[in-house]
Amino acid sequence: MEQRTQSLRNVAWLWFGIMVAVLVMGFREAIFLTPKDAAQGDAGRIFYYHVPIAMLSLLFPYINFFASLTFLYWRRRDPLKALTADALALTAAEVTVVYASVCLLTGMLWGRATWGIWWTWDPRLTSMLLLWLLYVSYLTLRRFSSTGQSHTLAAVLSVFAAVDVPIVYMSIRWWRTQHPAPVFGGGPDSGIDPSMLPAFFWNLAGWAMWGICMMVFRFALERRRQLAEQEEALQAIEASLEIPQ
Amino acid sequence: MANATQKSPLKIIVATVVILAAVAYLAFTGNSDNKQYYVTIGELQGMGNKAYVRHLRVAGNVAPGSIHREGTYVDFDLLEQGRKLSVSYKGVEPPPDTFKDDSQALAVGTYGKDGVFHATQLQAKCASKYAPAAPAANATATTASALPATR
Repeated sequence: MEQRTQSLRNVAWLWFGIMVAVLVMGFREAIFLTPKDAAQGDAGRIFYYHVPIAMLSLLFPYINFFASLTFLYWRRRDPLKALTADALALTAAEVTVVYASVCLLTGMLWGRATWGIWWTWDPRLTSMLLLWLLYVSYLTLRRFSSTGQSHTLAAVLSVFAAVDVPIVYMSIRWWRTQHPAPVFGGGPDSGIDPSMLPAFFWNLAGWAMWGICMMVFRFALERRRQLAEQEEALQAIEASLEIPQ
Repeated sequence: MANATQKSPLKIIVATVVILAAVAYLAFTGNSDNKQYYVTIGELQGMGNKAYVRHLRVAGNVAPGSIHREGTYVDFDLLEQGRKLSVSYKGVEPPPDTFKDDSQALAVGTYGKDGVFHATQLQAKCASKYAPAAPAANATATTASALPATR
């Protein structure tokens, strides 16, 4: 067990080191090596941060969604497994909020620079804000609900919140928006020059690694908290049994 | 407890159907009515009298050479598939740097009986195309050609 923990720790540090290296490469490509965009100039470089993070902020909610479904399925059948799923759901929701926040903030900065406005209520921006609010309310519900049913309620909320994810994704395809139409797989007047792809993919890889890193650490922490809680409950029961003697 | 698990599938199916139906409804009706985020110049000119009373957002490409600045005020023409709309912007903020010849722009304001669109706000709209500035010879070929067709 001790041996296993040690090797896991080494893997985690190795992962962290590679992640930092990839992010440094991504920064160098995005800021120094890639030529600036013809239409937007240097402000367009935020593309390499905003877009990968926005893509990932639509990926983590699905981990939350499937973990919540698993929790609901196991809730009565196998409560210990359900706890693991619950820890995963919580972790994914927290990472979602981090990514969605960064996405909204970088988007606002970018919008101010290139559109001339911080915010507008177009379908893409509105649905993304809704996504952020849904996962913030998920976390708030988990933290402040005292009914003892909060994990179940949160899991149900998570299933409903997941409905917004494809809406965010499709919003720039279904409706007219201030936000640009898709760059990847979009219409005839879209796309990205091959010279800009390395910066994009280095950053996508780096930020994906960052998200996985946060997920793993947060999950391990939540599992420890759950186990400590169980241990505490067990000791309380044992103590209460001893009192009469 | 057994009773609760027997009842739940139907409820879940009903809830799922309601949500999917609502999403589908939004997706398919959004295209047809005029609650879209912006109108095209063609739609504005086809609106008849309604065009003069509504607060609207119009999209188009800035006609090259038509920009005349006076302080933060700007007069220019928007083009869209051969249609032209004169815009007079009188706002407190200067338009963003990305507002220039051939760029996509959104003007927010009201359509006047004089055929001029009186805007109080200008927003640039970025193309979803990323490319480095071409060497001098190709420079004119990379400018935005047209708005994406009506979506």
